[in-house]
Amino acid sequence: MENYTKYKLKSNEELASLLADKDNLFLVACNKCFKEFETVDEPDCDELAKLAAEQGKTVVGSAKVDFLCNKIQTERKLQDMIPEGAEHVLVVSCGLGIQTMADLTDKPVYAASNSLNYRGHHGMALTAKSCDACAQCYLNITGGICPIVDCSKSLVNGQCGGAKDGKCEVDGSKDCAWEKIYRRLEKQGRLEEFLNQPVQVRDYSKTNVKVISDYVKSIRENRLDGYYGGVHPSERKEYTEHLSLVRFPEPEEVVIPLSMHAGAPANPVVQVGDTVKVGQKIGESAGFISSNIHSSVSGTVTAIEEHAHATRGTCLSVVIKSDGKNTLDESVQPKGDLDSLTPDEIVEIVKEAGIVGMGGAGFPTSVKLKPPKPIDTILLNGCECEPLLTADHRVLLEFADDVVYGLKAVMKTVNAERGVIVIEDNKPDAIELMQAKVADCEGMEVVVAKTKYPQGAEKMLIKRVTGRKVPSGGLPADVGCVVSNISTVKAISDAIQKGMPLIERVVTVTGEHIKNPGNYIVKIGTNTKDLIDHCGGLVGDDITVKAGGPMMGFVLNDTNVPIMKGSNGIIAVDTDHSVEQPCIKCGRCADVCPMELSPLYFAKYADEENWQGMKEQNVMDCVECRCCEYICSSKIPLVSKIKAGKNAVRGMK
Amino acid sequence: MLITELKSKEIIASLAEGKVFMINCHGCKEVRFPEKEALELQKELQAEGKLTGVITTDYICNPDNMKLRLEKYQEQIAEADVVLVLSCGVGVQTIAEYLEDKKVCAACDTYPVPGFQGVTPLEYKCDQCGECYLNLTGGICPITACSKSLVNGQCGGSKNGMCEVDGDMECGWERIYRRLAQLGRLDVLKCPTQVRNFATDDEVAK
Repeated sequence: MENYTKYKLKSNEELASLLADKDNLFLVACNKCFKEFETVDEPDCDELAKLAAEQGKTVVGSAKVDFLCNKIQTERKLQDMIPEGAEHVLVVSCGLGIQTMADLTDKPVYAASNSLNYRGHHGMALTAKSCDACAQCYLNITGGICPIVDCSKSLVNGQCGGAKDGKCEVDGSKDCAWEKIYRRLEKQGRLEEFLNQPVQVRDYSKTNVKVISDYVKSIRENRLDGYYGGVHPSERKEYTEHLSLVRFPEPEEVVIPLSMHAGAPANPVVQVGDTVKVGQKIGESAGFISSNIHSSVSGTVTAIEEHAHATRGTCLSVVIKSDGKNTLDESVQPKGDLDSLTPDEIVEIVKEAGIVGMGGAGFPTSVKLKPPKPIDTILLNGCECEPLLTADHRVLLEFADDVVYGLKAVMKTVNAERGVIVIEDNKPDAIELMQAKVADCEGMEVVVAKTKYPQGAEKMLIKRVTGRKVPSGGLPADVGCVVSNISTVKAISDAIQKGMPLIERVVTVTGEHIKNPGNYIVKIGTNTKDLIDHCGGLVGDDITVKAGGPMMGFVLNDTNVPIMKGSNGIIAVDTDHSVEQPCIKCGRCADVCPMELSPLYFAKYADEENWQGMKEQNVMDCVECRCCEYICSSKIPLVSKIKAGKNAVRGMK
Repeated sequence: MLITELKSKEIIASLAEGKVFMINCHGCKEVRFPEKEALELQKELQAEGKLTGVITTDYICNPDNMKLRLEKYQEQIAEADVVLVLSCGVGVQTIAEYLEDKKVCAACDTYPVPGFQGVTPLEYKCDQCGECYLNLTGGICPITACSKSLVNGQCGGSKNGMCEVDGDMECGWERIYRRLAQLGRLDVLKCPTQVRNFATDDEVAK
């Protein structure tokens, strides 16, 4: 790998003269970037400290900081970094880190290092190729060899004539770029085209500093909008966002797992051979964090057995053969008027109906509705920030009244004054509709959020809407919030208004490899493969099928698994063929992590099995949104390393 | 971390003669990728029946993963007369080397981003001059904050504190003066004349 380390310490003589009239020094060193991540302990800071000590100087403190030029993070770290009594700040970094420090502190800041001087800008891999960003790419006429960086003289109209034996006259260790260009084009049979090119003139005014700096300002604002970090993957929602919900044909058989939620699996309360009806309880909640399970069809229980499960390998499941009649269970009765129900009664209805968070995590909603602290705000997550998925979008459009009803019920249950439906700006139709629906509802409002993943993660949603920060290890209730998913409140509405437990949900079936993508109302327990087949099956080869979205979804190696309460989507996308490469400290992960963590350490420490280090880097705060893995230029499977770390840290207690 | 812009329609049309295989690099998309324009181009090529295939991937500047990802497209690439790459110059060069016998063209021009060296686009810029002047200038870079990259003080051409080269830009040396005054370090301006060495580090080392 090329070494693109950005700085080196200035010479001892220069440093000595720099230090001559200064004392009470505070040293800050950047931990370097764009080099293979081998050590967390770069030597330069200590070298400078040693030199200062030799000069008889007092060093009042020192700090080694990752990505010093990351102004937001550096500002946060600086708060308690520079001790009282520090008079001069010496910075070991490239020019960016030094300028950042100079801006952030009112103490005089000095450069103790020089940026290394090399030609052009490297890419996101440490190869020898670089680009000078000349704004008028010449590669099309030069066969993909850059005359600006590869020719010492940056000539754009052919060789200077000074090359000897194919070597550059300026730098004898370099091949003449124009000879390389000639040979490549000769090989491609493009010499004539090449030699007939008109004379090129380089236009140095093409890079408009103002335009670029305004652009940078705007993307920085965009990136920091609402909360730190986040990413903008291609949305590709156009496959299904305009498609109305369609009821999936009655399945002949359903396989209903007894675990579709966080916590203990439910205990089966039916036996093989029993006749069951739609909405009948077939699994009983097995603890505080658990959930009831109900039949989604009427028919006969044919087996209670281990069955393949999308996220848990296998799981005890109730297999029911449908009689096709959809006979309703007697228990399915409207639960009365919302005004006359008490909060406790609503919690009981929600609990009885087996409602769990339908965004994927599956946390029992009844537990959320009995928060340990006072709540003032309910946030309904209508962001659907996962690319491709449009299930919640369609629910908003087609069940708007139910969503409002459900929100009202939740507000009443936890006695919150404010109910906010948060929708990303890529769903203008849903925004307009919901704004009209909540216009007359006291305390309710629609907040439009600029599209950014992972907006729907509860901590990000809270930060964005209320500006409050959920403390490390804390819950939304700690800052007076309850966050719920759109489909979940729709289920609450059904449970109260119709008495119908959670037995079906909206699923988006999509991706470039699904023949006929669509949004379906699907009964829990329906076979995923049947659903895919109903959509015309898979087209093409080399396909990855996932339950959920492309960011947080689970890869399904076997599609013979049931649709569950948290199954918001089934997607079939291209398989990515890439392999894990060494971390090069590009810093992208730290740049996008919405929890403001440094995922690069998780990769390093997981490989070293340094679980203590993981803990110190706050691995437990990770929300597994996969932004780091998405952005990683070395394609490191960060989330699986993080999960290993979390398990180990849990074991340490 | 660079900004890319699609070349003009005419230039792209002249490149896309015959069959085209298209490579989109989303690696630095968080900074900039002309996603909408690229999709339009793809649709146009498709409509004209020119497209043999398209891959949207990331970090094509990383040759190992780029090769693994392009492998299954070999036939489509072979079928094409030109491989059109939408990425910065590093990406195009990496593909051009891998597909050495193929006509590989850049559909984008690449613009520099301040702060490209580090992790994120910044308001600061470092020109890698190799002889950091920041400790003489209160932490404001005369190479990038002064249009003329002067290292020995202002040129005298600024008007009302604005640069004579670029009226939208504050005079870097006035900013430096203000910062030093604020720090009570105006004495630094008495430092001896600085001479800039334009040799690269590789050359200095020799």
